[in-house]
Amino acid sequence: MGVNATSYLEPTGTDEVVDAVTRTRGRAGTLEIRGAGSVLDRLPAGEAPVLSTARLTGIVDHAPADLTVTVRAGTRLDELRERLAEHGQECPIEPIGEHGATVGGRLATALAGPRQLGAGRVRDWLLRVRFVTGAGTPATAGGVTVKDVTGFDLCRLLTGSWGTLGVITEATLKLRPIPAHRAWYASDTPRHDVASQLYRPAAVVSTTERTHVLFEDHPDDAGAQAAAADLSPAEPPALPASARAVVDPARLAALRADLAELDLTVAIHDQLGLCHLDGQADALAAARAAAERHGGALLVLDPSAGLPAFGRGHAPTALAGRVSAALDPDDVLAPWRWQR
Amino acid sequence: MTGGVGPLATAGRELTGPETSLLARLEGILGGDGLRTGHLGRATYRRDASFLNADPLAVALPRTVEQTAQVLRACRDHGIPFTPRAAGTGLAGGATPTGEAGVRPVVVSVARMDRLRQLDVPNRRAWVEPGLVNARLGKAAATHGLRFAPDPASQIAATLGGNVATNAGGIHVLTYGVMSQHVLAVELMDADGVVHVLDGARAEQAGLDLRGVTVGGEGTLGIVVGACLRLLPSPPAVGTLLAGFPSLDAAAAAVGALVVSDRLPDAVELMDARAVSLVEGYAQAGYPQDAAAVLLLEYEGLPAGVDAGVVTADHLAREHGATSVVRADGPDQRARIWKGRKAVAGAIAKRAPDFYLQDVVVPRSRLGEMLDAVVAIGERERLEILTVVHAGDGNLHPFVLFDRREEGMIDRVFAAGHDIVATALSLDGTVTGEHGVGIEKRDFLGEVFDADDLAVQRAVRDAIEPSGLANPDKVLPTTVGCGEARMVPEGAWV
Repeated sequence: MGVNATSYLEPTGTDEVVDAVTRTRGRAGTLEIRGAGSVLDRLPAGEAPVLSTARLTGIVDHAPADLTVTVRAGTRLDELRERLAEHGQECPIEPIGEHGATVGGRLATALAGPRQLGAGRVRDWLLRVRFVTGAGTPATAGGVTVKDVTGFDLCRLLTGSWGTLGVITEATLKLRPIPAHRAWYASDTPRHDVASQLYRPAAVVSTTERTHVLFEDHPDDAGAQAAAADLSPAEPPALPASARAVVDPARLAALRADLAELDLTVAIHDQLGLCHLDGQADALAAARAAAERHGGALLVLDPSAGLPAFGRGHAPTALAGRVSAALDPDDVLAPWRWQR
Repeated sequence: MTGGVGPLATAGRELTGPETSLLARLEGILGGDGLRTGHLGRATYRRDASFLNADPLAVALPRTVEQTAQVLRACRDHGIPFTPRAAGTGLAGGATPTGEAGVRPVVVSVARMDRLRQLDVPNRRAWVEPGLVNARLGKAAATHGLRFAPDPASQIAATLGGNVATNAGGIHVLTYGVMSQHVLAVELMDADGVVHVLDGARAEQAGLDLRGVTVGGEGTLGIVVGACLRLLPSPPAVGTLLAGFPSLDAAAAAVGALVVSDRLPDAVELMDARAVSLVEGYAQAGYPQDAAAVLLLEYEGLPAGVDAGVVTADHLAREHGATSVVRADGPDQRARIWKGRKAVAGAIAKRAPDFYLQDVVVPRSRLGEMLDAVVAIGERERLEILTVVHAGDGNLHPFVLFDRREEGMIDRVFAAGHDIVATALSLDGTVTGEHGVGIEKRDFLGEVFDADDLAVQRAVRDAIEPSGLANPDKVLPTTVGCGEARMVPEGAWV
């Protein structure tokens, strides 16, 4: 468990979030924001009071004809998935691991699921965000239409900010029809070149045994692509969960070679430049060094590993520091985040 | 508020000491060829493709990133703001060189920095300079079986730097997304001439997505001096449909059905009867002339999926009253169909001396109501308005055709524009979908966002660009919630 907090706040609305942040700021305290804990519980335990979104839940508005849904941040992704499926729709933001995840948490961490290759990044599915800044200011950015360049694009800024700029309270997400057909295939051996031979596969993941491919196409197209690439129907791959190394996809081959030298279980998202890893602390530390050498970063999601969650690859730039200071001037929102 | 008055009004203004000193320094950096200070040299840079214009102090045309840095440092040292500009195809006055308190900015054009720095085929991306024209990247990518998805109608002239600055859209946004989704990294030069590489190429970012804020920053955060753009494989199969409808409502209802069908089309464009008739004489696109509206639909991908999409669309179109549905029989007919859509502005230029192009978005389910409202506004103001719509996105572009020499005409045009924007807002829509805020839509932001929202936006902008010299007077309203939103803010000429 990553929660070892002296107090636990569960606001039920924006006003209460504003109140919690403002009070915390007033006594020069700090807050850590928690959704379902699917990621937070896998970070080293913190000491700060926790602000949970557990009671900021519910689907505010699903507009099937507009392909949009507005949800409060603490809403579980699996609940959302079920509700959208009733209308044949989905938002392809995937939970990480098996412990459930909230919409707000997934937006805040922006970790990639396998389908990111075909469906695009978490940040690209957010149309409007409501949040409370570290200064206690409630704000809205973006809008409910699928195209909107009215004002600066703070939706992108909030996505992946790990709760350091504001508490996300509500999100409007873009939807799409659930693909009519979805099937995993795999090769007999790992083939890192498969991804580039296929037309827009939904996911490609290579383990040490084989390369798995997900097609979300017309079944005839999926079958034809699979046959041309010599792939057979298969189960989805199992993904190691202790750590994730990310590099620019152009550096992936080099990182892959370095990881092969270490005692690690590895699953690699070809083309995304993302590697899932399991292993002992020394191997993970070496993997982190390798990722950083290739200009990337490694995130440890296993508090028992004895390594900091974040590494040098996550260190904020001076410009990012200025933006953080603008929205969270008194360091209320987990200012230690990138160092823990 | 009439054309032609603006240039004369400021032409004779005497230069201040800092202005004189700055111009001498800029000439030293750029040489005579790279700096325009004369009346005629400045006149071309008074406005973008909007009507809003203002007189710049000078126009700088750097050829390199280093020259650009020197220009910005010179501006900073003299306390003179700068207005970034590329091709000037923007429609919201974002590149119009207005300055606060009457200060004349230097226009910094990146048009001469137009190289394709690197086409990285294995990693499917391109590093570009900001002045590279959108269509040129598409052409270069196509030779390798790749494509650059954002395709604004102005793509034969608009630059990628401008596309980044405005977070441009285009015809294939529906499934491929807006510009931001195709920008992997941005090189942002700040007012001190320092370049910040804002990286978003990694699958999971490490740190804040400042790239995302910069895309759509409209030059107010600095100058985009380079970008890394995502390329996609060219689709093996394409199915293009042209469908004629007896009414706008029927076409809008068909769009609604297509958007919730099993497979999203990659493009859904709507043109009203005026647009159809106008482009037919100009582009011979083969549009049905008896239709009150036509839809252009496209499915891209692998053959079975494309065929299934086309069959569904054909069925849905007919179910909603389509009187004709034609599938393009090959690349030539497909090209002709799209040529008609992209030729609208050119065709208008032959029809009327002036046009005013609006850009509003409504939720897709409100499209029919919005189209009806545009017709009513045209009738009320006695104006010819034709409308083309990125219908799958609910993004309308009404073109108001007029002759500015007509007495009182400009006022009616802007009254219509105001009403179109106000109607979109009343339908839960927004004031700009892809053209940007610039100065044209600036005063509407107070109707979209409250004071807190705008204060947060301002805080972010000031954190990234603390000098206030980068494209002043744009995007954020100077006074919040004060007075009525205007199509033409104070200080801008029409």
